[in-house]
Amino acid sequence: MSVNTQQQGSPVVEVRNLVTYYGTRKILDDISMNVCEGEIMVIMGGSGSGKSTLLRYMLGLHRPDEGEVRLFGRDISRLGGREWQEVRRRIGVAFQGGALFNSMTVGENVRLPLREHTRLDENTMRIMSRMKLEVVNLSGFEHLMPAQLSGGMVKRAALARALVMDPEILFFDEPSAGLDPVVAADLDKLILRIRDATRVAIVVVTHELESAFEIADRITVLDRGRILMIGTVDEVRNSDNARVRNLLSRTSEDIEVDAEDYLQRLTEGAD
Amino acid sequence: MYPVEEKQGFSVVCLHGEVDLSNSPEARRTILNCLKKLRHVMVDLSAVEYIDSSGVASLVEGFQYARSNNLEFGLIGVSEAAMGVLRLARLDQVFHIYPSLDDRLGNGSRG
Amino acid sequence: MAAGVERHNGPQRLIEGVGRRFVAGVEEFGYGGTLLVESLFWLLLGRWFRQPVRLPAVAEEMMSIGVRAIPVLVILAFANGAMMAMQGIYTLRDFGAESHVVPGIAMSVVREFGVLIAGIVVAGRSGSAIAARIGTMQMAQEVDALRVMGISPVRYLVAPVLAAMLLMMPALTVLANCLAIVGGGVFSVMELHIGWVTYFDRVLAVLSSDDIAQGMIKSLVFGVLITLVATANGFSASGGAEGLGRATTRSVVLCISAIVVADMIFTFFLSR
Ligand SMILES: Nc1ncnc2c1ncn2[C@@H]1O[C@H](COP(=O)(O)OP(=O)(O)O)[C@@H](O)[C@H]1O
Ligand SMILES: [Mg+2]
Repeated sequence: MSVNTQQQGSPVVEVRNLVTYYGTRKILDDISMNVCEGEIMVIMGGSGSGKSTLLRYMLGLHRPDEGEVRLFGRDISRLGGREWQEVRRRIGVAFQGGALFNSMTVGENVRLPLREHTRLDENTMRIMSRMKLEVVNLSGFEHLMPAQLSGGMVKRAALARALVMDPEILFFDEPSAGLDPVVAADLDKLILRIRDATRVAIVVVTHELESAFEIADRITVLDRGRILMIGTVDEVRNSDNARVRNLLSRTSEDIEVDAEDYLQRLTEGAD
Repeated sequence: MYPVEEKQGFSVVCLHGEVDLSNSPEARRTILNCLKKLRHVMVDLSAVEYIDSSGVASLVEGFQYARSNNLEFGLIGVSEAAMGVLRLARLDQVFHIYPSLDDRLGNGSRG
Repeated sequence: MAAGVERHNGPQRLIEGVGRRFVAGVEEFGYGGTLLVESLFWLLLGRWFRQPVRLPAVAEEMMSIGVRAIPVLVILAFANGAMMAMQGIYTLRDFGAESHVVPGIAMSVVREFGVLIAGIVVAGRSGSAIAARIGTMQMAQEVDALRVMGISPVRYLVAPVLAAMLLMMPALTVLANCLAIVGGGVFSVMELHIGWVTYFDRVLAVLSSDDIAQGMIKSLVFGVLITLVATANGFSASGGAEGLGRATTRSVVLCISAIVVADMIFTFFLSR
């Protein structure tokens, strides 16, 4: 897989010197990275390292405090309403918990983007949504409510909804989290199949090493809001960066203590 | 409007360029119109650069309509890009797909 | 972080706290305002932008906000009318002014209590339900999902509620008025030894279209307030099940406070 990363297409996602805060707490620090056409980019890192946050900024759910995010070459914080709408029709997102609408059946969930954005014939929309449910192996579950689905099925339904408009970029937050290994591996295969068939660029956020190595063309390793490295699977595997090695061997490294900082953390807000 | 040629008892619908949300309704209408005239239909995809799911859905609708009216419906000249999309939804196992109209006729006389 | 010195300064902290609350309050007001403007925009112009407010959703909201509130509303309005009659008759009897009870009931129900009861019933039921629903969606990232699909959460979640409120609140108010007057009638007819016909004659004699309009306008304002408070609290919910509970409680309390305060302001200006 790492073979075709040399001849990358043009970037569809560009993050430039992104700095973000929650309140006064800095969450992402000076993040710069690209995702190219037809590439699977995995954003990997421990829990709380800022992966989901980075994803949210890529989706334009927040405005960067510093730096910029570009989708299809356009700075998303400068887009007008109509232009944003255009860009959003070209991306699909599967959120961590699926974010299916509980008041609608699975089929209605998958059709929702079509219903809102297109004027296609009802019959065409139904066929399209069923085709996507076929792709994710959920055929026949169209009429179920999201509450009736298992964890893996929810993720696949969310994937079907994300794919229904044939996006050029697919974002997928934690596809394998909370799933048993067999189901998770199936989902990985599905992601690869989708990429091979449609040449969609895929951004996957995960903390699962196995999954990351299985599907990635390139991996961005995130640690405490900073990028440790960006590289192919082999480059990450063979990295001699101590932090990366720690992450790979899953040993919790001894956390260095800054005495002043530590004391501050313990006593902050106390009278 | 997509061109339709009458050849050897078939209406050959030539889709071309990018068949996406903006023009798949047109493709759908063209295909269904031919079928409603009770013509056998071949859809020529050789000039298609890209076909999205709404385009494929139009093909599915045509195929379904043809089957329920005992008409023939096939795809010819399916490009690799279009084939990928069909394969993803396993539709390559559903549609009658021929390299060209001649192949269909050759097959037909043999079968 | 650099505020180490100020941290131990009591009064300053108090002022800081008050200031922060004040700013947060103003922000919330502004947020409510933008929700209102945006909802009205979608209701009026959505169709033109090919993004209409979904009518089935409006109908559904009308059911849950309006129709399902009727049983409670009937009981409360009836009881309230009866209580007003009892209080009025017993207190005014001492002054020999019993005959003024019926006009009193009619006026205060139509101007004040009918709409207030409708408001409180809707605030209690829907103020919590709407905040809980939107809060749940917010936490499950469903609101984000709408946004990235290019579907305005305000159009999808707030505008149907606003439309339903604007339609149902006046209807519920009319219903509450009628039942409160009937409730007052039951007791008045017995105690004052008048017939139902006389009772309704006296009621209608004092009511002007202005009074009724006043109640209707208030009902619309209450509907808007409940919508904005409940949806704003839903959208700002965070922090798991506990946070959801906090948001819904806060929503009900603020909804009821908002309509009572708004009612007072109305009465102050309109009763003069
Ligand atoms: N809504 C929020 N408010 C405040 N802090 C948050 C919020 N969401 C996430 N954080 C913090 O941001 C950091 C990164 O979170 P996140 O991006 O979710 O990490 P990851 O997805 O890598 O597990 C965490 O320390 C988390 O506590
Ligand atoms: Mg996460």
